Amino acid sequence: MTGLLGPNGAGKSTLLRCLATALGPDAGSIRVHGFDPAVPAQRTEVRRRIGYLPQNPGLYPHFTAYDLLDYVAVLKEMTDTQRRRAEVRRVLDEVELTDRAKTKVRKLSGGMRQRLGLAQALLGDPELVILDEPTVGLDPEQRMSFRALISRIGERRTVLLSTHQTEDVGALCERVVVMSGGRVVFEGGPKELAGVAEGQVWLSESPPVRNTAYWRNADGLYRTVGPRPDGAEATRPSIEDGYLLLLGTAVATGAVR
Amino acid sequence: MTDSWHIDTALLSDYEEGTLSPSRVMAVEAHMLACAGCRTRVPVDYTWLTGNFSVIYDNVHAPRVGPLQRLLTRLGLPEHRLRLLTATPALRWSWLAATAAVLGLAVAVSWLDWSGAAAMSTVFLALAPILPVATVATAYGPSADPMREITGTTPAAGPALVLWRAVAVVGVAVVMAAVAGLLLPGPGWFAAAWLLPALLLCTGTLALATSLSLPVAAGTLGGLWLTGLYAVVRVVRDDVFVPLVFGPPAQFGYLAAAAAAAAVLTLRRRRFDLGESR
Repeated sequence: MTGLLGPNGAGKSTLLRCLATALGPDAGSIRVHGFDPAVPAQRTEVRRRIGYLPQNPGLYPHFTAYDLLDYVAVLKEMTDTQRRRAEVRRVLDEVELTDRAKTKVRKLSGGMRQRLGLAQALLGDPELVILDEPTVGLDPEQRMSFRALISRIGERRTVLLSTHQTEDVGALCERVVVMSGGRVVFEGGPKELAGVAEGQVWLSESPPVRNTAYWRNADGLYRTVGPRPDGAEATRPSIEDGYLLLLGTAVATGAVR
Repeated sequence: MTDSWHIDTALLSDYEEGTLSPSRVMAVEAHMLACAGCRTRVPVDYTWLTGNFSVIYDNVHAPRVGPLQRLLTRLGLPEHRLRLLTATPALRWSWLAATAAVLGLAVAVSWLDWSGAAAMSTVFLALAPILPVATVATAYGPSADPMREITGTTPAAGPALVLWRAVAVVGVAVVMAAVAGLLLPGPGWFAAAWLLPALLLCTGTLALATSLSLPVAAGTLGGLWLTGLYAVVRVVRDDVFVPLVFGPPAQFGYLAAAAAAAAVLTLRRRRFDLGESR
C-alpha cells in the first residue's frame, strides 16, 4: 500500500485522476501495468485493471446500494447476469454492507457511503485500487473502521491512497510519496519519512525564543521542529515532523503554531 | 414432545432422501424446529444453502423489471444493455426535458389561431432537429451525471457507451417529436421533414464530439443550424422558406451530410471517451 501525502493543491488528486484515466496529462507519460492511458485502446486495458474511488464519488442518492453496484458492474463489462450479481454480493460482503443492500444511498451514513464507494472500486477484483482522500469527512470511529477495511483490501492488492493525514499513512502504508507543488519531494517508508526530522525535534518546558515553529503538547511541553531551542531535549520524530520539515512548513516563521 | 420422542435413524434417512410424504416432512421439520439435538443430526449442505441464499438475496435486492424493459428484452435487447440504459439517471432527466419541450410546443400550438399555428409549425420544424441533440448533450457532463468520474473511468466508457446512450435519448425524442409533428396543423410530411436534419445534427454532434466535449459540440452545431435558418428567413419570402429548407433537394443534402458525419464518426470513434477531460 502506497500513501500519497501532500498539502491541498499539491497535485495528489490530479495525479490519481491521470492514473485512473479520468484526466489526460498535459506533459510527461504514464504507464499503468505497462499500458499507456494516452492510447485509447490501452486506456481501456488500464480501466480493466483498476478500481477508482474519487474524492467526490457522487453516488446516485436514489439508488439502493445493490442497484448502484449492479450498474457499475455492467459498466465494468460484467455482462452475465448471474456472475454479475455474485460479484455484487461479494463486494457487499467485503465492505460489510450485505445487510444494507436494499438501503438507498441517501439513507446511508457517511461511513457506509464511503464503504459503498470502495465496494464499487473493488468490483471485478482489480489489481490496482486508487483511493482519493477516502477518509475525509469521516468521524474518528468511522475513520478507524475504514482504515481497517482498507488494510484488509491491501493484503492482496496494490492500493494507492492519497491523503493529507499523516496518521492514515502511518497506520496503513509501507511506502509514502510526498508531493508538493506538483512534484514528488520524498519517496520511502514511513520510518524514513520520520527520519527526515531526526535530530530536529525538541521538547522544552518553555516556548523557544527563536522564531521557529512549535506547539504545546498534551503534557504541557513545547514541541519544536527545527533548530534546537535553549534547554530543549531531543525527542523521537514522528511522520508528521518529517512531513512538515520536508514541506518547509516547520521552519517557516509561525506557519505551524 | 421433544423430551419423550426424537427422530430415529430410519426416519431421518427417509427425510434426507426425500421419500417422506409432505405431512410427515412437516411433522419432522416442526419437531426439528423445537429440538436442537435432532436439528444437529441433519447434515448441512453448505453449497446448496449458499446457492439458495444467493437466489433469494438477488430476488429481494435486484432492480425491478418494468413492462417496457420486459418488452425490450423480448425484442432481443440484452439484459446488461437494458440495465445500462434504464439505470442512467441523467438520461431520465434528458427524457423528461424532451417530453416537456414537445408537450410545451404542442400546447402552445393548440392555443394559436391558424396563422399563428402555421408560424408555430415553422418554428417546430426549425427547433425539432435540435431536440434530440439537446437531449444527448444534457445526458452528459458533471451537472447531469454526478457519478461521471466513476462511470467515465470504467472499461465501458468508450464510443459504445456514448452511442448507446445517444440512441436511447434520440429514440425517445424522435418518437415524441414525430407524434407532435403529426398533431400539428400543416401538411402531413411535417411529421417527418425534420428527421433528416435531426439525423445530421446528431451524427454531426457525435462526430464533432471526437474533438470537442459533447455539450460544446452540440451547442456549436445547434447554434449553426439556428443561425443558418435565421439567415435564410432574412433573405427569402415566408412561403418559400419551408420548401427551401425542408424540401426534397435540401433533404437529400441533409442525408449526404449525415452520411459524411457518420463516416467521420466511424473513423474517429476511438477518440470518444467519457472519462478523459478534453
